[in-house]
Amino acid sequence: MRISRKKRLLIGLVLVISMLAMPSAQSLPGGISGVQESGCNCHGAVPSDSVAGSIEGLPDSYNYSEVYNLTLSFEGGPSQPGNVNQGGFHLWASEGELSILDATTQLYNANEVGHTEAGNDQTSWDVIWTAPATDRNVEFVLHVNSVNGNADGAGGGTSGDMWSKVSVSLGGPIEILEAADPFVVLGVLILVTFSLLVITLAYVFYRKDPDSFDWDNFSPWLADWLTTTDHKKIGTLYFVAGLFFLGVGGIMAMIIRIQLSVPGNDFLTQDQYNQFFTLHGTTMIFLAAMPMINGFANWMIPLQLGAADLALPRINAMSFWLQPFAALLIFTGVFSGHGADTGWTGYAPYSVSEATHSGTTMWAAGQILLVASSTLTGINFLTTMAVMRAPGMGWMQMPLFSWSILVANVMLFLSIPAFGVGLIQVYLDRVIGTAFYDIAAGGDPLLWSHLFWYFGHPEVYVVIVPSFGIISEVIATSSRRSVFGYRSMVYALAGIGVVAFIVYGHHMFTSGMSPTLRFVTMLTTMLVAVPTGIKIFNWLMTMHGGSLVYRTHTLWALGFLVTFTLGGISGMFFPSIAMDTHLHESYFVVAHFHYVLVGGTVFGFFAGIYYWWPKATGKMLSEKLGVLHFLTAFVSYNALFWPMHRLGVWGMTRRHHTYFVTTEEALGSLPMEAAGWNMFITVSGFIFFFSNFILVFNMIVTSIRGQDAPDDPWGGWSFEWMTSSPPPAHTQYKLSDGTWGLPTLEDANEHIANEPGVMGRWFQRLMVSDEESEGASN
Amino acid sequence: MAHYKILGQDPYWMNFYGLMILTLIEVLAVGADLNGVAESLGTEEKVITLWILTIIAIPKFIMIAAIFMHLYGDEDSGILTLTALFPAFFILIMVLFVGLTHPNAASSLPDWCRPGNYGL
Amino acid sequence: MSAGFAAFLFTLAAAFEWGDFIGWTEVPLILASLGVVFFGLLIWWRQDWSYGVDGKDSKHLWEPKSAGSPFQNIDIRKVALWMFLMSEMMVFTSLFSTYMRYRFGIPNCMTVFESGEWVEGTAVTCFEPAAHLIASSWFHIAPGAINTFALIISSFTIVQALRYAKMKDIEEDVRKRKVMRYLGTTWVLAILFLTLKMIEWFIGFPTPGPLTDLNHGHSEIASLYAEGYTINADSYQHYAYDTMYHDGKDIPKDSALYTMLQEGTHPGGQMMANIQVSATTFYVTTGTHGAHVLGGIIGLTYMTLKAARGGYTPDNAVSIEYFGLYWHFVDLVWVLVFPFFYLY
Repeated sequence: MRISRKKRLLIGLVLVISMLAMPSAQSLPGGISGVQESGCNCHGAVPSDSVAGSIEGLPDSYNYSEVYNLTLSFEGGPSQPGNVNQGGFHLWASEGELSILDATTQLYNANEVGHTEAGNDQTSWDVIWTAPATDRNVEFVLHVNSVNGNADGAGGGTSGDMWSKVSVSLGGPIEILEAADPFVVLGVLILVTFSLLVITLAYVFYRKDPDSFDWDNFSPWLADWLTTTDHKKIGTLYFVAGLFFLGVGGIMAMIIRIQLSVPGNDFLTQDQYNQFFTLHGTTMIFLAAMPMINGFANWMIPLQLGAADLALPRINAMSFWLQPFAALLIFTGVFSGHGADTGWTGYAPYSVSEATHSGTTMWAAGQILLVASSTLTGINFLTTMAVMRAPGMGWMQMPLFSWSILVANVMLFLSIPAFGVGLIQVYLDRVIGTAFYDIAAGGDPLLWSHLFWYFGHPEVYVVIVPSFGIISEVIATSSRRSVFGYRSMVYALAGIGVVAFIVYGHHMFTSGMSPTLRFVTMLTTMLVAVPTGIKIFNWLMTMHGGSLVYRTHTLWALGFLVTFTLGGISGMFFPSIAMDTHLHESYFVVAHFHYVLVGGTVFGFFAGIYYWWPKATGKMLSEKLGVLHFLTAFVSYNALFWPMHRLGVWGMTRRHHTYFVTTEEALGSLPMEAAGWNMFITVSGFIFFFSNFILVFNMIVTSIRGQDAPDDPWGGWSFEWMTSSPPPAHTQYKLSDGTWGLPTLEDANEHIANEPGVMGRWFQRLMVSDEESEGASN
Repeated sequence: MAHYKILGQDPYWMNFYGLMILTLIEVLAVGADLNGVAESLGTEEKVITLWILTIIAIPKFIMIAAIFMHLYGDEDSGILTLTALFPAFFILIMVLFVGLTHPNAASSLPDWCRPGNYGL
Repeated sequence: MSAGFAAFLFTLAAAFEWGDFIGWTEVPLILASLGVVFFGLLIWWRQDWSYGVDGKDSKHLWEPKSAGSPFQNIDIRKVALWMFLMSEMMVFTSLFSTYMRYRFGIPNCMTVFESGEWVEGTAVTCFEPAAHLIASSWFHIAPGAINTFALIISSFTIVQALRYAKMKDIEEDVRKRKVMRYLGTTWVLAILFLTLKMIEWFIGFPTPGPLTDLNHGHSEIASLYAEGYTINADSYQHYAYDTMYHDGKDIPKDSALYTMLQEGTHPGGQMMANIQVSATTFYVTTGTHGAHVLGGIIGLTYMTLKAARGGYTPDNAVSIEYFGLYWHFVDLVWVLVFPFFYLY
């Protein structure tokens, strides 16, 4: 019975929505017959082209309750000066109130007005229209008669007379779009997403055991999830949070794209636009990308190392639970329209000025919590990887994904205190009035840029490096061979990790920083291309030497290679100071970092999701849907971001709420084609946005009726494929002798372990391998 | 735990005495009139003080880290010292890039970096 | 366990939220949020409270060891603590970088004063190190100096606590008493540290009568706050920046100001300075260090209480060692903060 009630509810809901969506049916009450009844009866049966009526005095859009003088007139037809009668009219307005000025017109009701006998001898009449007090679309219908004045009948002659009809529709003031206030849109969408999440949660629980679907069973189940210290469950929570905010950030991106789809658009005001791009950046980096990385790391690091859990499970749970509350703080103020409006970089001194919204304080506070969370995560993962590798697994036998997480966490961990201190400075400046960034007191806004980018540049590598790791795993497995040049891959990763700290100045080339530092960071930034290039060529060589199996995750990895390389190439424009000065703050920059962050990070995540989903859930994802997802997303993604390069070169600036196009060669305006490209980008953006629902659909459908996954569906070699799918809470691995327990790494990477290079020998001296230390103690 | 002795005495006590003495020297260095020394070296008193303070801070730092924090003399000391020294490079970078780049850089560009100086 | 644990996580995060949410006027909410954090902390501690007491759980005493090289056979907690100290190093490096940037970037107040590029009544922006006030007299420097010694002694006492906790060949009672006394001493010294800091910042103290001559004739040492050394000090005036002070005898003969006064091109008077940035860096850096001391006190309170019921035995004395590592680190930071903020 429950289901049928649900169905009835659903049908009812659909009906209500469709009724709301239907246009309100209105028709002309008086119509032509009304005109005829009012005296100008039967002036011809059909409308005539030769009569042209007009309504003057109407604005393009009305202001609320304003009074307008309308002049109704016509030309043409048989009407001649000197005729006894010349013509008449009938005006109907769907909204507002009509009233009359003099005796030549008469009022039928508030919506209809016509001429009187006294006004019979004119071709133009004046009436008054009072605009409605709320936002409406107003229709005006004017009928005009042009008469020849012959009196061949009791009611006045009608032969030879002509008439015509004019319709005018009118919108409300510009603010009428406030009816669709973007914040309300965002809020509603977030709430809808959240409700869907809750419904899904209830449904997942229902599916687990339909017979015990009640609160008594639900609350312990929920409490278990809320208080878990199991790395797998926390990893899942990270994923849920990450995907949720990926959706929220995506919605914000779509609202931004609606605003930019046509030049001079007013969907978002400047103020709203500032908040939207600020929160879009913050959400995507800190609330979507980082939790997803932590989700992967939580799930896979202990499994890949052959450990039972992370080193500090409770710290792990704490670093997750700091995130939702941080997110709450960051979003505080959005719903009242006072969210942070500083950009995700939060540049001082604007971020400490009183001109910013009060939400900026909360934004800083929320980020401080995220810093705390990241610090705890960093401690946890670094410790885990340092101490919990399986016996036999030296540093150089760690899977590349583990290496990438190690490097990412080292970078994050060592750089984020700078950001935290900077945020605390901003927070204190805003709350208790310290003077770190008070220019009048000698404060130096560049200090914030330094502290922020000291963290910020490693941070963007933090979000890309785990993708490198995932791609390495996926490509090696799909090529059915070990990755080419493992050792050089590790050194390249470590190199990226170290270089990340000395390149950050390239974000500040135009800020008036020390010229020496500018020069240094120019050189080091160019250096970044070297380790990254090594990685790209190693991946290509891996495929070259292997035989590639095209699965969904392989496709994403290949897509990653294309888009990331393109993004990397566009990135090489910026280290050159002169070029950077030219392209700075343009859409070229936007195109570049979306190419690496979406095409790199997000594609890597998708590859990882398709790759590890069977291991984590025990269900296979549908390959058909996966390929469909890849194709639509890859095409629409490129259509979305590639034209932005062009817009940037044309001079379209980022962080501006709108733009203008012109045919003239004027400074600060764009050529006419820019409008078309922007519309194209918006459409592609929506396709990209919705294409990702294929993944969500895929996840839902396959977890209900997908195939069960084998332990090792792809033929991967690392430890995570040795356990069952899904793995038990305290991971047990299937050992070579058939028993279950914690594994030991035997004969892995034998050839690599036996050929240390110069750097390798140096490293080996630092990091004594197990065999040697055992030999020493024996 | 310490498995060694300093001058035949308990290391913690010795370390403690040493730290006390060094701190006393610091306080005295600030209080004392070093103008004479400064002039003989052709610099200001402040600079002399700064040098003394920096030079004394280093052994104090090492003494606390090595003896109280057991970075010397334990079986795990070697690797933990490496761990502790790991951020050194990053600290150096931050001090150089953030701490010591001049805030007024834009208005105090060197001559060769200013417009109109291309021909030299 | 997990229930209490969850409560801790939720309440901690919730408390942070509320703590940030409110203005400084809404003290009750802040207190409530702190209470929530403290409640969470209690729940966490509850699990450790009877751990190792009376040898009851001795067979459960289990300190996970590292499996992989290079940290083989080192306690995981120890490695984690060193990792944590790494990030703490970066925190203080950031603060020191901020300080250095401003210290070297903004002209020193004394330099500005002696250059004569100021007129009475208009504030000039310059850097006034707190050390200029603090190191101006022996009494001013006293709280900071005592604090330095207090921290070094406390570092020493906590090592002693560890030594006795680890000592196997002494009686249970003796160990209990020794550990508790040394931890208690550390706690008292930490409290002394914060108290003296408050005196130095906000309260000030009278100088003994016979010694007022040494204090420029003042009978009281004013706190930094009373001296006007505050974060909103945009019109700070100090007696040293007055051409009339000591009849101008303190103005160096080779300074531009001296020449200008001789030539009559400078009217003299008292310089007014905007020193908000200097005060901000001083208070926030030493305040961050103070916050670390406060965190240490909270931990020490618990550990002293636990030691009082004989909670530390050679089996679980490592807890003291790990707290000690943190505490020594706080001491280390002070070793750097003290000379560069108080003396130079």
